[in-house]
Amino acid sequence: MSSGATVTPPKKTATKPAILLEKIATNFWLRTIVKKVFIVWVVVTLTFFIIRALPGNPVEIMVMSLMDSGLSSEEAYTRAASLLRIDLNAPLSEQYLDYMSNLLKGDLGDSYVLAINKPVTTLIAQRLPWTLFSVGTSLLISFVIGMFLGTLAAYRRNSLLDHALTNFGAAIESIPNTLTAIVLVLLLGVTWKVVPLNFMRGSLSPGIKPGFTVEFLIDLFKHYAVPGTVYVFSTLGGWMLAMRSSTISTLGDDYVTVARARGLPDLRIITAYVGRNASLPLITSLAISLGFVVGGSILIEYIFVYQGIGLLLSQAIGKRDYPVMQGILLVTTITVILSTALADLLYGWLDPRIRITGGGE
Amino acid sequence: MGTTAPTRSETRSNQGNAFLRTFKLLARNKIGLLGLTVFLLMTLVSFVGPLVIPPETQAHVDQIYQPPSAAHPLGTDFQGREMWKMVIHGGRDVLIVAFLAGIITTLVAVTFGAVSAFFGGWVDSLMMAITDIWLTIPRFLLLVVVATLVRLENVWMLALFLAFFGWPGLARQIRSQVLSLKKREYVEAAQLLDLGSAHIIFREMLPNMMSYIVIAMINAMTSAIYSQTGLVFLGVVPFGNNWGVMFSLAYAKNAIYNPNAAASLLVPMGAIILFQISLVMLSRSLEEIFNPRLRRGV
Amino acid sequence: MNQVAQQPETLQRQNQTLRADAPSTAAPTLSVKGLTISYQAKRGAVQAVRNVSFEVQRGEALALIGESGSGKTTMGLGMVRLLPSTATVSQGQMLYQRQLDGQDTNRVDVLQLKGRDLRQFRWKECAMVFQAALNAFNPVLRISDQFGDTARAHSYLQGKDLAERARQLFELVRLDPERVWRSYPHELSGGMRQRVLIALGLLLEPQLLILDEPTTALDILTQRNIMDVLKELRQRLDFSLLFISHDLSLAAELADRVATMYAGKLVEISDVYTTFKNPVHPYTIGLINAVPTLTAHRDHVASIPGSPPDLIDLPRGCKFHPRCPLATERCREEEPELVPSTDDTHWVACWNWEIARSQLSAGQKGTSA
Repeated sequence: MSSGATVTPPKKTATKPAILLEKIATNFWLRTIVKKVFIVWVVVTLTFFIIRALPGNPVEIMVMSLMDSGLSSEEAYTRAASLLRIDLNAPLSEQYLDYMSNLLKGDLGDSYVLAINKPVTTLIAQRLPWTLFSVGTSLLISFVIGMFLGTLAAYRRNSLLDHALTNFGAAIESIPNTLTAIVLVLLLGVTWKVVPLNFMRGSLSPGIKPGFTVEFLIDLFKHYAVPGTVYVFSTLGGWMLAMRSSTISTLGDDYVTVARARGLPDLRIITAYVGRNASLPLITSLAISLGFVVGGSILIEYIFVYQGIGLLLSQAIGKRDYPVMQGILLVTTITVILSTALADLLYGWLDPRIRITGGGE
Repeated sequence: MGTTAPTRSETRSNQGNAFLRTFKLLARNKIGLLGLTVFLLMTLVSFVGPLVIPPETQAHVDQIYQPPSAAHPLGTDFQGREMWKMVIHGGRDVLIVAFLAGIITTLVAVTFGAVSAFFGGWVDSLMMAITDIWLTIPRFLLLVVVATLVRLENVWMLALFLAFFGWPGLARQIRSQVLSLKKREYVEAAQLLDLGSAHIIFREMLPNMMSYIVIAMINAMTSAIYSQTGLVFLGVVPFGNNWGVMFSLAYAKNAIYNPNAAASLLVPMGAIILFQISLVMLSRSLEEIFNPRLRRGV
Repeated sequence: MNQVAQQPETLQRQNQTLRADAPSTAAPTLSVKGLTISYQAKRGAVQAVRNVSFEVQRGEALALIGESGSGKTTMGLGMVRLLPSTATVSQGQMLYQRQLDGQDTNRVDVLQLKGRDLRQFRWKECAMVFQAALNAFNPVLRISDQFGDTARAHSYLQGKDLAERARQLFELVRLDPERVWRSYPHELSGGMRQRVLIALGLLLEPQLLILDEPTTALDILTQRNIMDVLKELRQRLDFSLLFISHDLSLAAELADRVATMYAGKLVEISDVYTTFKNPVHPYTIGLINAVPTLTAHRDHVASIPGSPPDLIDLPRGCKFHPRCPLATERCREEEPELVPSTDDTHWVACWNWEIARSQLSAGQKGTSA
């Protein structure tokens, strides 16, 4: 897909900054980093303007709600400004600079409804690990199962199994994850009573402290099982279909035929020749889908009262707690972008055609 | 000039027949036919049904949470309203949003992807960079946050928003399609004849991508319903009666723990799932018909 | 299949006579008997190979020539049992003579091999250099790993010994061993990759090497280079060669014998000198006349009129008759079999080969020209 990574030898007459640009353009690792930093900047800026400049003007709404709690208009403005860490009377450009420098210092403002005067960073830091754990684990599980089933379908293509798998995959991909979650709660918890309902509410039983104890790990898993299944279920179809078509096209590649002619064992061909090449294009989608699944966590965590960032966001939305909303949006975006950077690096490591120039020459 | 004229008229007459031919092929494809039938039936019921059947505006306090029976074919909800009537009335808005979002998403994606691929060079690089950024951002979160700020009160606004957040993946696909079409002979010939970019894109390329675009539109509809369901469930889109609102309300009223109330939760959910699956069956069958390589897997 | 197997003696005798220029009296490395392969397509069965018999002697180079679509690549893939799943071998045998320490051991029918036996046969006994060798290597593994994979699959040398053996082979094919060994495929040019594949083909010292259009995708200088490498290898190593090509001049350089294929059937087989000087099948004559030579006058170069037949809907009788200047009523009705012509090393499938020899011989023009 992205085999177009071409190497152009640096021109001899180039000036110093030009050489730097050239290096960034040709060096895979540098290029990745610059791109990611740029995306983060875009999102940060976008968020700022969404909060400040959209028709619903959240700052105004915030001031109104503060006034409802008994503050005078002036007090409310000062309060909102201090919560958001922005001087609301300053020109927009100055506000933007303040906002950026606060961000660089890691200050995202304070919550004002959900947890009064608590820094948003603290709130997020408590919740983010839960979401990363549940979403990350599920995504890996579904990726692995999807790769396996996709390969199976591709190897047995046009068989009954293939048709069953692909139609199933396409169908579950289209069912909204909310519905999947509700159906699972209904079936497992209410109708069949396989999973006690208290394992479908919250992320830990009361009284259990996080730590490397067996008790904690078992409880963690019990609370994770059903929401985890929902995440796996709603992403599995996509991986399966993608892996299937990627494998089918790889199977047609000459080197696979040659590998067979070389008498290599089937297992070696499936893993190192077909599997490794077929999964390359999926690595990039893995990171992108992380954003999608984290987005979906807002619904799933709401249903399962799972103490992650998605639940925090749905609570913040319910209470219109803008500093929290803004903070979550930023932090999740940055997390997702970091993981795409990780995926890009992984891709470069797995595909030698991307790994180019740099120190070698 | 004389050499291109017959080609074009040929394309056009092909297009006329293409619709019929596609339908015939679809009729032979069991899954596709089933998908199409369910899709048409649900659309018909959702649009015509409300004209025939009066809406349930009154609560019937004595009929709350009746399980399905002869008197209440699909049971009743928390206000004692007939579920079957609710379902018939609850489809229209969902479908309109899906259609509109599907069309707008496809329009944006086709324009973006085609322009990007066709002009290439820095235009392409820039447009693809924008697409990539948009793809990377957790769009659903952004959508939710924005939805709290901008009141998505009517179907148009909601459709526009869904499209605004949904186009980048499709634009990438369209771009690679155009790139491969660009290398075909008839496009190269048109370029040599200097027929102009607009002519080449709209007259030579798009007709050859129609099947692909139709499939893309159906897929865009599927994701529009997906996101819409989530937004409604979170309560950020204020709507009257629709499938999403129905099951969200039932869920909020804890219908999940009440066996008698199960119908009020499951019926609207079933409607959404059924419609989604009919769309998937339809788009997969069309893909099989238009891309026989998929079927034979060569 | 049984039918063929039941009469080994008669076939054996026929095969003995088929030999031309055979270097030894040992059994042939490969003898193909009555091989018939067809593909399942929507419109019907594609008859890619029809009742083909030939053999490759020990140390001999046999060239299989024909236009694209004549079934020669199907033959090659069939030889290592890598036909696509839509293909069926409806008839025939492919007898391969195993050897141990230079002594003949048992003979196996390649078509009957299964599982582990088949895997061991591939590359260890018969290696194949493919047409599209540019993509013959897994792009994500180093050349050294791909040699290692092959060696491990056949319990061959490992580690330092393998590297040493590869170094020798790289030198044989005129590659810089240090550079190639640690490279990824994309770091090598097309010609280099092709030579690496030839070296890999020779790694396990197979008795039979199949070259399927080994130079097609390469530029003319690289092509030259590969041909020189192959000729040198033939002199220095002991293996049989099946060279599949549409290019007569390349076949002439490398082959001891030439077999011409048309519409899935062998139409002429003889030693290389006879094929070029005294071909007797109108198709072979046409092919040779289509090759420009330095000495021939420019307008002596002629192409064969018409195009190869549709392999799903073959014409009745001789499959070449619609394009043949000598076609008679008999050619339109009955298909000729491969029989000895001028002597018993030169076989042809043509009713009118004697007329063809006198009227169409190379250099003079047929009526069609």
